[in-house]
Amino acid sequence: MFGRLILVLVLFAAIPAWAQWFKLPTPGIPRTADGRPNLTAPTPRGPDGKPILSGIWQMNGKYLQDIAADMKPGEVPYQPATEKLFNSRRNGAGGKNDPAARCIPGMPKLDALPYPFKILEAPGVVIMLFEGFTTFRQIFTDGRELPKDPNPAWFGYSVGKWEGDDFVVNTIGINESTWLDNAGRPHSDALHLIERFRRHDFGHMDIELTIDDPKAYTKPWIVKEDLRLIPDTELLEYVCNENNKDYEHLVGN
Amino acid sequence: MSTLSVTNAIASLMVAAGIAQAQWLDYPTPGIPRTADGKPNLSAPTPRTKDGKPDLSGIWAATTEVIDRGPLGPTATPRYWLDLGPGVRGGLPYQPWAGDLRKARFAANSKDHPMTQCLPLSIVLMHSHPLSRKVIQIPGLVGILSEYNMMFRQIFTDGRPLPVDPQPSFYGYSVGKWDGDALVVETIGFKDGLWLDGRGSPSTDAAKVTERFRRVNFGTLEIEITVQDPKAYTMPWSVKVTQSLMPDTDLLEFVCLENEKDRSHMVGK
Repeated sequence: MFGRLILVLVLFAAIPAWAQWFKLPTPGIPRTADGRPNLTAPTPRGPDGKPILSGIWQMNGKYLQDIAADMKPGEVPYQPATEKLFNSRRNGAGGKNDPAARCIPGMPKLDALPYPFKILEAPGVVIMLFEGFTTFRQIFTDGRELPKDPNPAWFGYSVGKWEGDDFVVNTIGINESTWLDNAGRPHSDALHLIERFRRHDFGHMDIELTIDDPKAYTKPWIVKEDLRLIPDTELLEYVCNENNKDYEHLVGN
Repeated sequence: MSTLSVTNAIASLMVAAGIAQAQWLDYPTPGIPRTADGKPNLSAPTPRTKDGKPDLSGIWAATTEVIDRGPLGPTATPRYWLDLGPGVRGGLPYQPWAGDLRKARFAANSKDHPMTQCLPLSIVLMHSHPLSRKVIQIPGLVGILSEYNMMFRQIFTDGRPLPVDPQPSFYGYSVGKWDGDALVVETIGFKDGLWLDGRGSPSTDAAKVTERFRRVNFGTLEIEITVQDPKAYTMPWSVKVTQSLMPDTDLLEFVCLENEKDRSHMVGK
């Protein structure tokens, strides 16, 4: 309980700093007559007609706490051992065991951090720059296949392609230490994560996540997380281990 | 182990990382010019973006030289990773306190090197890190992704000015503009007490770093770094680092904090 509370406090503590700093008009944002960003303007598109995903985005914070926030009780298809592990971590009881408590970022929780992230679309690769941990993730879009047996990694190995207006990212090779959310939902090394990035209009995007992990869950399950564009600002530098005082207060084994 | 210096420990790490890298990623980089036998032609001309500017994008490794590293013996080491002095005409013009601090840091076996705490390196030190960097150049932005600790730095090229009073940070705030074929990057807003080389040459919050990036051919990136930091140095000084393109591979994941066991073994004053 305490551990979880601390994490929440840390999240809120960071927000005023963000509001204090950067005020820079983002070029190319449609604006209303009074100069404000028009976040309901149409989805911007590139020369190939595909939606442009570039921009600074912020996730609805509830999914970091609970990836199943929009699901009804009993809808998450746990394998028995997964549910048992999850229950042992609930209410902050395993806060110390979350790698993020030791400042180690990982997928898929990285997407759900409440700090903004920036999407860059470069030839052959989409980069996500995360304010949280000042870290990045690469999604290869040059047509390569997923590797057969990737090194287990905190971020996994990601390839992306367009399906209509959805940017679909397939990721495997995520080591089993990462958590799906702060509540402590586990996954196994068999996790195949599918993210569908869908930009509805200028200022709004969803990431629909499919958790396909037969070792940990009896069937694939889907959650949809919503993000908003953060205009006229910039990422701050966030160095988690610069002066981490939380860890010693967290509980766990 | 107790007398092994941090920089030697880091060298061991590099060797380990090199092996891991050879095991893993072997994917032909698209768009690399190749010779008749299929090998990357690293002396081909500088690639350019649509607007005619050099394209700095690629994965870059610091140029190494063989240095006798005591217990490790002669070891390939990025030039200036340990000591910027030999690259600066007349040596680094330390203010007295800065020279003393550098001496004290070195006498302590560099045990407080930011790498021993898995912290971000200064932008100067980062250019010589033994692990590679990936440069992404898109309109308005050049990003440098570091294999070391999976961190990134942004250089804004959209014409914005430097901020007047930026929040002090490890990487500072960087804006770049083209001067002919050189991308000239100015950075301010650093935290105090950063390390510019492995022996602990310091910088202060007054530092302004100017980098001139020149991709002289397909496979070579030159970066001339000028440090103006009147609090720590009696005059501005410059050093030039070079990096080589690493074809047909990619960054590996290096999460420094994952299972960090070194720091407790390090000794120093």
